[in-house]
Amino acid sequence: MKRFLSSLILAFFILGHGTLQGHALAPEELVTKLAADMTSVIRNDPALQTGNVPKLSAVAEQTLGMRFDFERITRSAAGRNWNKASAEEKAEMIKQFGKLLIRTYAGAISNLKDLDVRVKGSRVNAPDKDVTVRTEMVGRPQPVAIDYSLGKVGSDWKFYDVTVEGVSLISAYRDEFTAIIGASGVSGLIEQLKAKNAK
Amino acid sequence: MIRFQAFVRASIIAILLASSPVFASNAPTVAEPAPVFDPLEGVNRIFFGLNEVVDILIVTPTVTVWNTIIPSPVRDGVSNVFNNLDDVYAGLNHALQGNGTQAAVDFQRVAVNTTIGLGGIFDVGTKMGLQKVYGDFGQTLGVWGASPGPYLVVPLLGPSNLRETVGRGIRIVSDPRTYADPGLSNGLMALELVDNRASTAANEQLISSSSFDKYAFTRSIYMQRRAALVEAGGSRH
Repeated sequence: MKRFLSSLILAFFILGHGTLQGHALAPEELVTKLAADMTSVIRNDPALQTGNVPKLSAVAEQTLGMRFDFERITRSAAGRNWNKASAEEKAEMIKQFGKLLIRTYAGAISNLKDLDVRVKGSRVNAPDKDVTVRTEMVGRPQPVAIDYSLGKVGSDWKFYDVTVEGVSLISAYRDEFTAIIGASGVSGLIEQLKAKNAK
Repeated sequence: MIRFQAFVRASIIAILLASSPVFASNAPTVAEPAPVFDPLEGVNRIFFGLNEVVDILIVTPTVTVWNTIIPSPVRDGVSNVFNNLDDVYAGLNHALQGNGTQAAVDFQRVAVNTTIGLGGIFDVGTKMGLQKVYGDFGQTLGVWGASPGPYLVVPLLGPSNLRETVGRGIRIVSDPRTYADPGLSNGLMALELVDNRASTAANEQLISSSSFDKYAFTRSIYMQRRAALVEAGGSRH
C-alpha cells in the first residue's frame, strides 16, 4: 500500500510538476517511477513471478513500450549498416527489434520479485537532451550496477540504451548485427529477428 | 614462499609484456563501436562450439544437481570461501594498480572474513560495510597500459583475450592451490567452476534467449566488461 501510494504521488508529481524541478531531474524520477510500478505489478501477481512470458511481455509492453526510443536504438544497433537499408527495411527492423527488446526485458523483470532498484543519481551528458541515470539492483550478495541512458524526444524522455556493469546492450547488439548483416545482409537480419520473435 | 617467488616471476613477465611494443598502446579503454579485434575468429568459433557442447553435456547438469542437492546456505558458504581467497588477489591487484585505499579495504575484508567469518564461510565484511570490489591480474595489466590484444576463446574456460589469458596465467602460477596435491587441486578447480557457473546461469539464459549469433554477442559482452573493469581500475586513483 505504501509503495502504491508513493508511486501514485510520484506519478502525480511527474505529470503535474515535470518542469518544476528542472529537466535534468525528470529522467531520474521517471526511472524511479517505472521501477516502482513494475516492482509492484510483479509482486502482486503470482503468475508473473513464475515467468509467464506472454503475460510478462504484455506488462513490459504496457509500461515500457512508450518509453523506449526504438528508432534510435535500432539505428545505433545497426551502426554503419543503417544506411544500407531501404525505408521499408528500416521500419521493419525497428518494429521487429522493438518486439525482441520488449521480450528480453520481460524475461528480466520477473527478477524484480526479490530485487530492488535503487536510483543512485544521474549524469547530465547534454543539458535537457541526454542524461544517464545510475541505478543499482540490490537483493543478491553483489549489487548490480545498471545505467539507463535517456534522450529527449519532443517533450518526453525516452530510453536509448541500458548499460549493465559497463556492458552496453546496444553495443552488444551492434556487434551481433554487424556479423549477421555481413553474412546475410539487412534482409537476413530482418528474417532472423522475425524468427526469434515467432518462437 | 613459493607463492611469492611465483609472483615475482609473474610480475617480471607482466612488466615485460606491458612494455613490449605489441602490448603497449594508447588505445582508449572505453568500449566504443570499434569492431572487436578477432583475427582467430575461425578457431575461436570452433572452441566456442565445443565449449557449448561441454556445457550442455557436463557443466549444466552438474550445476543443476549442485543447486538441487546442496542447500542454499552451504552453496553461499562455498561461494564465500572462494570469494575470500579472491579478495587476497583483488587486494594485491588494487595495490599494483596504485589504489592503496581499495587494497586496504580488500585486506580488511580478508582479515575479518577469515577470522570472524570462520575461514571465509561467512561474508561478515560486506555486512560491516566493506564492499567487495573486483580486481585481477588482467585488469592490472590493462591499467598499466596493455591493450586487450586479440579475442580468444579458451577450451573449457570460455571467452578471454590475450591480456586476460596472461593475467589468468599469472593467477594460476601464484595460486597456492596450483601446488596442492593434483587430486585436491583439480577438485577445487572443478568446484570453483561449478560455483561460478551456478551464479551466472541466469545471465547465460538471458543471453541465449535474446541473441542470434551467440558467439558475437558473448564476445561483445566480454570485451566491454573487461574494458569497463580496466577503466574502473584506472579511474579509482
